[in-house]
Amino acid sequence: MVSAGDARKITIAQVLVYELRVRDAMSKPPITALPSDSLREIQKLMKRHKISGVPIQLGTKLLGIVTIEDIITALDQGHIDDLAEKRMAQGVITIRDHFSLVRAVAEFERHGFGRFPVVDSADRLVGVLTRGDITNCLMHQLEKRAEEAIAFEAAALASRAGDDLARRIVIRAPVRTGDYDSAGKVSQRLRQVLRERGIDPDVRRRAAIVAYEAETNIIIHSLGGEVTVAVDSDKVVIDATDVGPGIEDVNQAMQEGWSTAGRLPRELGFGAGMGLPNMKKCSDVFEIKSGNGQTTLVHSEVFLRKAASTP
Amino acid sequence: MKFETNAKLTAVLLAIQATPLTSTSETNVQGCYISDLLSDVLAHAQPGMLWATVQIHRNVVSVAATKDIPAVLFTCGRKPDANVIAEAEEEGITLLVTPLTTYEAAGKLWQAGLHE
Ligand SMILES: Nc1ncnc2c1ncn2[C@@H]1O[C@H](COP(=O)(O)OP(=O)(O)OP(=O)(O)O)[C@@H](O)[C@H]1O
Ligand SMILES: [Mg+2]
Repeated sequence: MVSAGDARKITIAQVLVYELRVRDAMSKPPITALPSDSLREIQKLMKRHKISGVPIQLGTKLLGIVTIEDIITALDQGHIDDLAEKRMAQGVITIRDHFSLVRAVAEFERHGFGRFPVVDSADRLVGVLTRGDITNCLMHQLEKRAEEAIAFEAAALASRAGDDLARRIVIRAPVRTGDYDSAGKVSQRLRQVLRERGIDPDVRRRAAIVAYEAETNIIIHSLGGEVTVAVDSDKVVIDATDVGPGIEDVNQAMQEGWSTAGRLPRELGFGAGMGLPNMKKCSDVFEIKSGNGQTTLVHSEVFLRKAASTP
Repeated sequence: MKFETNAKLTAVLLAIQATPLTSTSETNVQGCYISDLLSDVLAHAQPGMLWATVQIHRNVVSVAATKDIPAVLFTCGRKPDANVIAEAEEEGITLLVTPLTTYEAAGKLWQAGLHE
């Protein structure tokens, strides 16, 4: 069995090397100026937004960049009222939003710039990245991970995963309380895995729905937990565990329309009270164990061949 | 104008004055589901449908992807931010926005024949 410690190490390494992307760390949306803006206006913009570089953009086209160094030079040499188009650096080197932070650090080393405009796959400017942004992002992630580690250890203890199950696990992901921006990450990976294995679309959808509803319940209703997915020759097995506070009346929670979701999740479209009943409908085997002040364990199996009723 | 049951997205755009937010391909949609509740969509929409909603959070993209919904229509002129659009591009989901209310858009889509 994978010990909690081992899994932890893998997760942190993955976060740092693969998971964190330029788009996670960059400042967005980018604060930009027009080529017809004066350096003085740009200086005010920098001051207002506490930034040190402003990409110059016309329509969706990135024309150049004006940095704080350019402003200092302009003040020194008395051309602060010149237009950006006259003084901006052109042929700006950009960085892609999907690059890993490790790669971004290497780019900073290579070029020696203080910042990069960030572009997406369609070459649209989507943000600006500084070394400071990277440091902040890493610190923030470390803090989150520290909180998570506690939740994870507890959940791992509660997990009933046996030896052979652990070997077939394809996804094991911590899920953080209140982390709406990560909702669906497990489900997305599961869809990928099942697609790669050529699993029937109906089975794939049902398993992905179970995973999605399981993650969102942990995010919305619990203090944190984890979702594991194992793929067998004949079924997908999804287990969700969390560290509490548990469900007082499981039968009530299983009823369609029952929800204790608060204002924020409801504003985001959660809280119909249809997650658990739909997980059951999508599963061939479904078990839920909980209680007031206890961990909540949800176990679902979706069989690969015979289809359950499609929602 | 009338749709085939299997309506080309470009025809949908015309009927409801919608503009694409993603680089649209010639996606087909079959029928439409309207809901602002995510788990309701997961439970009751059918794969291949157009989904109309006022929700613009990134969860909309996750839900659409989970349910194999090829196109999402944001009504009342509500536009999601750039990250959401980027995520949809990655998932191959088309995002559309219409100035019409959900009710008006639904009426026009029905009138144009987007139902089985
Ligand atoms: N992991 C959990 N920990 C604590 N309570 C939970 C957990 N999962 C579900 N519940 C309780 O069960 C209720 C019903 O859950 P269900 O998933 O059916 O609906 P919901 O999450 O409230 O809304 P929806 O899933 O439709 O967005 C929740 O409102 C909550 O009170
Ligand atoms: Mg739920």
